[in-house]
Amino acid sequence: MLAIFKREFLSYFRSPVGYVAIAIFSFLSGFIFYSQFSTGAVNIGSEVISLRSFFVIIVPIITMGLLADDKKRGTDILYYTTPVSLFSVVVGKVLAAFALFVVMFINVIIHIIVTVGCGGVFGVGAVGTIIVFFFMAFMFISMGLFASAITDNQIVSAIVAFIIILITQLLTIIAGYAGTAASSIASMLGAKTASAYQIGSAVKKAIAWFDPFVKTQDFRLGVFSVSSLVFLVSIGVLFMYLTFRVLEKKRWSQS
Amino acid sequence: MIEINNLVKRYGDKKAVNGISFTVNDDEVLGFLGPNGAGKSTTMNIITGYLSSTSGTVKVNGHDILEEPELAKKEIGYLPETPPLYMDMTVKEYLDFICDLKGVAKAKRKHMLERIITLVKISDVTDRLIGNLSKGYKQRVGIAQAMVGDPSILILDEPTVGLDPNQIIEIRRLIKSLAKSHSIIISSHILSEIQEVADRVVIINNGYIAAVDSLSDLSKRLSGQTKLLMTFGGPAKDCSAKIRTLPGIASAVPKVINSKVSQIEITLVGESSTEIRSSIFFFMAQQGWPILELRSMDPSLEDIFINITAGKRKV
Repeated sequence: MLAIFKREFLSYFRSPVGYVAIAIFSFLSGFIFYSQFSTGAVNIGSEVISLRSFFVIIVPIITMGLLADDKKRGTDILYYTTPVSLFSVVVGKVLAAFALFVVMFINVIIHIIVTVGCGGVFGVGAVGTIIVFFFMAFMFISMGLFASAITDNQIVSAIVAFIIILITQLLTIIAGYAGTAASSIASMLGAKTASAYQIGSAVKKAIAWFDPFVKTQDFRLGVFSVSSLVFLVSIGVLFMYLTFRVLEKKRWSQS
Repeated sequence: MIEINNLVKRYGDKKAVNGISFTVNDDEVLGFLGPNGAGKSTTMNIITGYLSSTSGTVKVNGHDILEEPELAKKEIGYLPETPPLYMDMTVKEYLDFICDLKGVAKAKRKHMLERIITLVKISDVTDRLIGNLSKGYKQRVGIAQAMVGDPSILILDEPTVGLDPNQIIEIRRLIKSLAKSHSIIISSHILSEIQEVADRVVIINNGYIAAVDSLSDLSKRLSGQTKLLMTFGGPAKDCSAKIRTLPGIASAVPKVINSKVSQIEITLVGESSTEIRSSIFFFMAQQGWPILELRSMDPSLEDIFINITAGKRKV
């Protein structure tokens, strides 16, 4: 596991990928911090929350090559023919991508130091958003890794990861549309207006329940809920497990 | 020692490997011969645990590859058809990474890597990026990778493909030197290559084993018939009819019929001896047909299959 982690992490810096990801993150965080700083209303919490909406760009860049590239080069054969276990391969790759996020986050740490140094506030709410940031990063990385496992083409992998993450980020909006659609279908099938409305709102609620952004929105107020973090970790672990299964399937594949 | 028992790999309707059984003894070089698409790589991939078989078992030094994969894989070093190299790493970084994957203890590592690097002769490129190496060096790094962890069995899938003649000779020499302390399976579709290094040969065709034989038996069987190709100036049909009457010649088939130059494929009854060739010469001189070229044709893999299957020899 450590071997995979080390190789993958260092490989970010052997190709432009790591530098591009860090450059994008530095630019975005710097720009947000600068615009806050220039108006004199620095809020680390809202900076981190704004940065979260760029997962949809940064995560696919980081994860697209993790497994797709191995398959293309033929190096994935090493994972199957050496005593290393496939699950530790998956864990090592997730950790490598996560470590790159930690490196990128140095930007925000600098902003915190500047803020505190200038007498600004770095409160418990900001700590909450940072915790959520890393848990979400883990979750999205797992999704990206899964996208990388199902193809040997980095571009396809990036697009799939982009779509999965985009859907997650728009889940509440999607839930709204799905709810409306469900209620209109129900009324078309002859349900009463009241019950059609109920069905619609139930569907909306059911889908919106999965929205990780809504689930964790109280963290910025300093209200930490362990269950939301468990939720993020569970989704992440689920996708890691799916990735593991995809890798394992290759061995048993009959086509 | 590897015991392979009734291995089947099915891809949809097609069976890539169909009931293959053979054994590789300790410190033996086993040649694995077959045309492209015969199932060589599939079999090797199954032995190394990269693919699973549809049915059948593979035991590596007593460990089943599916039931005790980690123990079995420790015993095997594998060089696949395309060496699994990371182009963005230096040779040294790469071999270190392989040591990590195979769980080689840090204390042993330095000594082992030095030995391997000297053996496969890559000491002058250890600090270069693998992506910048020539194909021959890449192949050698691939072999070095297989040797990491001192496995007792090496499986080399077409190790000389794409190399120039000098490199091929060097790789063969390397394989011979490794054979003293390893069981080796080496696959190829080139007969002469296997003849050079292997003690025993498994011939595989269409997923079936066509023959398992020691090399001396195989060449004996092949030398039962030798073919000569003769190019000469004269009428091909006339010549083939007449030359058949010479002693020691089984058949003569005209190949190229041209107004000026003809070609005849001559099959001899026994081995190609000096007497037969000189009698051909004198015969042709008598007829006034100048021989432009007379050479013996190496049996191709196809000939061997025809030979083996025609004889209906049981394995």
